[in-house]
Amino acid sequence: MSGIALGLALTRERLRGVSAPLVLLLGAVAVFAWGVLLRRGHPSSAADDTLGFAVFGCALPVFSYLLCERVCAGQSLTRSVEGVTRHGAQRRAVLFGVLLGSALSMALSSAVLTLAALLGAHPAGSALTNDLRASLGVALLAGAVYALWFAAAARFGRRGSGRKWALILDFLLGAGGSVLALPWPRGHVRNLLGGEPVLGLSQASAMVALALIGALCLAVCLAGTPD
Amino acid sequence: MSELCFEAVGHDELRNVTARFGAGSHVVLGTEQAGTATLIALAAGCAKPRAGRLVLGARAPWSDAGTRRTIASLTAEEPLPPAHFVVAALELALRARGDARSGLSVLDAAGLARYERRPVSALSLREARAIALALALSHAAPRLLALHEPLSLVGFLSEDFVLQSLHKHRENGAIVLSTASRLEDAARLGGTASRLERGTWLDPESVPVQGLEIALRVRTPEPRRLAARLAEAPDITGVQWPGGQELLVRGSDLGRLAQSVVANARAEAIRITALKQEFPTLETLAAERAGLAQAAYERAQRQAEVRQP
Repeated sequence: MSGIALGLALTRERLRGVSAPLVLLLGAVAVFAWGVLLRRGHPSSAADDTLGFAVFGCALPVFSYLLCERVCAGQSLTRSVEGVTRHGAQRRAVLFGVLLGSALSMALSSAVLTLAALLGAHPAGSALTNDLRASLGVALLAGAVYALWFAAAARFGRRGSGRKWALILDFLLGAGGSVLALPWPRGHVRNLLGGEPVLGLSQASAMVALALIGALCLAVCLAGTPD
Repeated sequence: MSELCFEAVGHDELRNVTARFGAGSHVVLGTEQAGTATLIALAAGCAKPRAGRLVLGARAPWSDAGTRRTIASLTAEEPLPPAHFVVAALELALRARGDARSGLSVLDAAGLARYERRPVSALSLREARAIALALALSHAAPRLLALHEPLSLVGFLSEDFVLQSLHKHRENGAIVLSTASRLEDAARLGGTASRLERGTWLDPESVPVQGLEIALRVRTPEPRRLAARLAEAPDITGVQWPGGQELLVRGSDLGRLAQSVVANARAEAIRITALKQEFPTLETLAAERAGLAQAAYERAQRQAEVRQP
């Protein structure tokens, strides 16, 4: 079995059980309810507001944080794969497998949350498919980038406590549109959803910026990791 | 030929450890607090030494996956790879070291087949260690076996199985590095004995395997001067100054030790205000007694051999 396959197996085993799907289900129900509430007050902006605040502003970062904590078993990223690397698997390959598994899981979860929010925020028969088409791509990308973002943060601090700081800083600094918001995913995701851009970047540039953040996080996770 | 080399290694409890282990059996005596668990974790490649260098052959286990694949290890705490059942966790570990055998065959060989369908989360620390020992001993061709207190798991695994597996690996040219906190276990594991005391490495020549050590607590207003004088006295094996006005002086004979302390203090005109024997802890006493019992057994066996024509 290759190192990447071992990493994927590690992720699968750690996410096994009812708690992860249950948290996702609760999140989906919450954003659906939020969408329904907003639809009753402001039907025209309910979808945008639900996606911008409830899904991509709150649920997605928090769920990514929790998933990273679970996949790393509460350890730092490198330490979390010791269970198999001590027997001879290559660390970088196993880490890549873990990151791949996390990114796929988060992309899927993010898509589920988006779907639930849009179902709640849209009246039946409205332009749901158009919104879905526009938001699912953003959801998949944002989910994967957030997974890599927290994984990179989990390389730092005792028992990967960098994760907490990544969550806090993304909430605080990513909320603005200044240069301070540039390195955090939140501002660019908001831009892709039609919200305030960071430094006036276009949506295409925001997509590139998100992809760059993801690539940088992947490099942080793998660079300097011994064999 | 492969050698496991510690060069001025410092990590957690370990202080500047320099040692070499060639093919054959080596036992390191000492408690976990003395650094035996850390020693094994470093040798197994589970941690990178904070200071110094550790290599197996020419490569560091921590940073070389190929080297780690040739190491079979049992650490003080064994978090098995994540899986619901024990057999699946073992299979992940076997795949990581490129071994195509089934987890059940490893468990079966060690007499642990009853754990096959046991959830990993339901295992006690000792059960997890027993399974990890079975995994380590099942390695087809290890260059190094680094085992923390393997005989403490006798009961889960049979002693014969453990000792025979170690013997087989030793015969195949592997380095078998084990730790033991009991002298009795060290004697059963056999090979060269060395010792770790509060993180300091004592090589095989300086290991007092037999004989009860006596300690005297000496109270004096000039502990530094007295310690300097006693450090050179022939009947004294160690002088420790824990601070304050007290010294801990060690030797093997109570009468000669007390006499030497008094004579040296008198020679330097140092006043002694109190002198009393420091009794060993029950743990130390048990370990020493186990060693004495072993020595008595070996002496009796030698005498029996001499008596036979």
